[in-house]
Amino acid sequence: MLDQKDLRPKDLGRPDEQLIKLETYNLMPLLPPYDKPGMQPPISEPKPAWREKYCASLDGFIGLDTLTRPQTKEEEDEFVRKFLSGLEKIFSDANNGILEPLLLSFEYCAKCNTCSEACHIYKAAGDNELYRPIFRSEVLRKVVKKYFTKSGKLLGGFVGADIDVNWETIARLGELAYRCNLCRRCAQTCPLGLDNSILSKEIRKIFSQEMGIAPTPLHNKGSMLQLKTGSSTGLTKPAFLDTLEFLEEDTEEKFGIKLKFPVDKKGADILVLHNAGEFIAWPENPVAFAILMNEAGLNWTLSSEMMGYDSVNYGLWYDDVQAKKIALAQMKAAKELGVNRIIVGECGHAHKASIVAGDRMAYGDAKVNVESCLPLLWDLVQSKRLKMDPSRNNFPVTLHDPCNVVRQMGIVEPQRNVLREICPQFREMTPHGVDNYCCGGGSGFAIMNALNFPQFRDNVASRMKFNQILGAFQGKMEDASQVKYICAPCSNCKGAMRAILEHYDATEKFNLQYGGLVELMVNALVSMKRPYFEFLE
Amino acid sequence: MFLSLIAYAAILLFLGLSAYKAYQFSKLPLHGRMELYPVPKEKGFEHGGSFYEEISWWKKPREVSHVREIVEMFKEIVFIKTLFENQRPFWWLSYALHLGIYFIFVWTFLLVAGAVSMLNGIVVAANTTSVWGLLLFYLTYITGIIGLVLAALGSGLLVLRRMFDSTLKKYTTPQEYFNLLLLFAAVVTGIITWSSDFSFNSAREVTAGIITFTPFAANGLLVVHVILVGIMLIYIPLSKMSHYVGKYFTFHTVLWDNSPNLRGSAIEQKVKTATSYRPTTTWSAPHIQAPSSTKK
Repeated sequence: MLDQKDLRPKDLGRPDEQLIKLETYNLMPLLPPYDKPGMQPPISEPKPAWREKYCASLDGFIGLDTLTRPQTKEEEDEFVRKFLSGLEKIFSDANNGILEPLLLSFEYCAKCNTCSEACHIYKAAGDNELYRPIFRSEVLRKVVKKYFTKSGKLLGGFVGADIDVNWETIARLGELAYRCNLCRRCAQTCPLGLDNSILSKEIRKIFSQEMGIAPTPLHNKGSMLQLKTGSSTGLTKPAFLDTLEFLEEDTEEKFGIKLKFPVDKKGADILVLHNAGEFIAWPENPVAFAILMNEAGLNWTLSSEMMGYDSVNYGLWYDDVQAKKIALAQMKAAKELGVNRIIVGECGHAHKASIVAGDRMAYGDAKVNVESCLPLLWDLVQSKRLKMDPSRNNFPVTLHDPCNVVRQMGIVEPQRNVLREICPQFREMTPHGVDNYCCGGGSGFAIMNALNFPQFRDNVASRMKFNQILGAFQGKMEDASQVKYICAPCSNCKGAMRAILEHYDATEKFNLQYGGLVELMVNALVSMKRPYFEFLE
Repeated sequence: MFLSLIAYAAILLFLGLSAYKAYQFSKLPLHGRMELYPVPKEKGFEHGGSFYEEISWWKKPREVSHVREIVEMFKEIVFIKTLFENQRPFWWLSYALHLGIYFIFVWTFLLVAGAVSMLNGIVVAANTTSVWGLLLFYLTYITGIIGLVLAALGSGLLVLRRMFDSTLKKYTTPQEYFNLLLLFAAVVTGIITWSSDFSFNSAREVTAGIITFTPFAANGLLVVHVILVGIMLIYIPLSKMSHYVGKYFTFHTVLWDNSPNLRGSAIEQKVKTATSYRPTTTWSAPHIQAPSSTKK
């Protein structure tokens, strides 16, 4: 094992059982009240059986649960061969959709190292060399130079083609691609406009599209399940309709509201596309949407047709082919319903997938107009179509900016305008807006709960966000009688919030609550007879 | 004659290869959108906003400010703004080098202007009666001194910084040291060559000789300097030092692109072409049915 400070990109092929090890005392310190000893759970060692089966030789964590160790030398060689074959393809016309940004980011890095300070994972891990944004990129460059450039073949180490490529190198590189949230904050600070996350994602793509290796929650139980059943949750049409019926009854029972979800309403103006996980994990969110839209008198509907009731598109994180299949199927479902527009609910990556990535996947009649729910929600508040009583939200509220919605789409103000209007104690995190940090759940981390990966996510990836939250509530944290609400208008971000609050036992100890934006809006509705939040009861 | 040929060939190759590089990037297929905010041409630039902040954005007139984009690009090119904001210690060195290069560019133009003026009978000197000659003399003098000193300091100190910074050392390849040392050598040989006459009268005479293909007496140092500058000019567009080309594309066509695929737009036409393209290479994973249909 190496001291992380001595680690160099070419060390990725070293035969060590594990390259580096993370200890909680080396991580970025947390703010009060989590600065005291014993407030953080320790990081445990991977089980010996996991070391034998998977690639735990990077930092001890395992994200790629479908990457298993080969039994023979032939299998090892075949693994490397397949990777190299995929690596060549990312620079071919099979990858046209990203070729220009990829070539630019691949060729022009000046190694000024400006990106490191912007990376929440690098900083949270205590400036750990392994997670430096250019570390991974440089490994990839070395491999490409070694095998696919004349200069690398002729001049070797002079141009940086000095890495040993073996099973361990490639497997570790695959794991390392899942130590980046693809939040693109580093790209914002690059003087040359380059983007390390493109290279992380390309590695993930080679593993998935060429080698058939991707984390189970993203692929087999994610995009594959969605294409088969209509939802990555496995929720089928009958189950979805049952769920809606249950939620209608439950809402009436709890709040006395006769709620009706419009379903498959032909020719409705709006199709609301939710992350189907919301119906299972946070049903209060789609219920709140329905309450608001019904009260505002909007002509809207949900779809119960195949691919019409789940906005997620995990392909965005690891596989362009899956991403395109899903995006086109979702557009088709909306087309068949004859709606004017799709409104994407509170799900960040679905925003990016349907509105930005999907934008250039189809044209003409095949394309549907898609927009974010956030401008609509602000309009409902601003135009006074909904009667609100802000005093009902009179507790500290902070806002998390989902990277996909804010940094990558420029939807910055509508959600904070709503909060400024309906939450008297709204306060910003530092930094916020387009400069905000990822929640640590981005690019699939929020749903990657297999083996010991949650330990990496909760201790490292979400650490900066947890500190931002603690910072926003300084002075209020210790008072456990005081509700403190983290507004995260994104399903994945909520998943990450749920995980860190559990990890640090922060709801139990300090009354730190989390949820979306629409829940706060419904809680402030004058027409509500009782608080929408259970924690206010 | 020999030096004239080198000079002309190097300049032509520098321009030609740079233009070819730009042409290659401009011919790459349409890529998926990858904006990062703030995007200068958007009217919500101040808070990093975009047209997506509006309801039914596709119905609203697209308001973009190309002037603001040009202003922001200008700040990047002239001041390396992003580096200034995000890594000040490195910016001092990098900016010294870049500013030095900009001054040397201007100085070169002034030398040519001075040489052409001289050939037309205008005296370019401190004691000339011609205002133009006087202006050229002093501007050449100032830009030359500043340019050479800054470029030498910048390139030299960047080499040292890379050698002695424990992080940068790990990531800098021998080729990257070579790149900086080539710039340093080209500039330092220039400083030594002209050190006997920092008013650059001899440099102007050499420039005149080069422009007119007139043979002139050249010492060994001058020959080495011209050859080094020639090699540098040809090598830059072939290496990653051609980031002056790449940077335009990373910002203008990737991070600040922001052109939605609206009905009847030019982008729609490009999407049409891209989606009808059938790739010659396909992915091999079992879940991907041939032919591949990656995002185009």
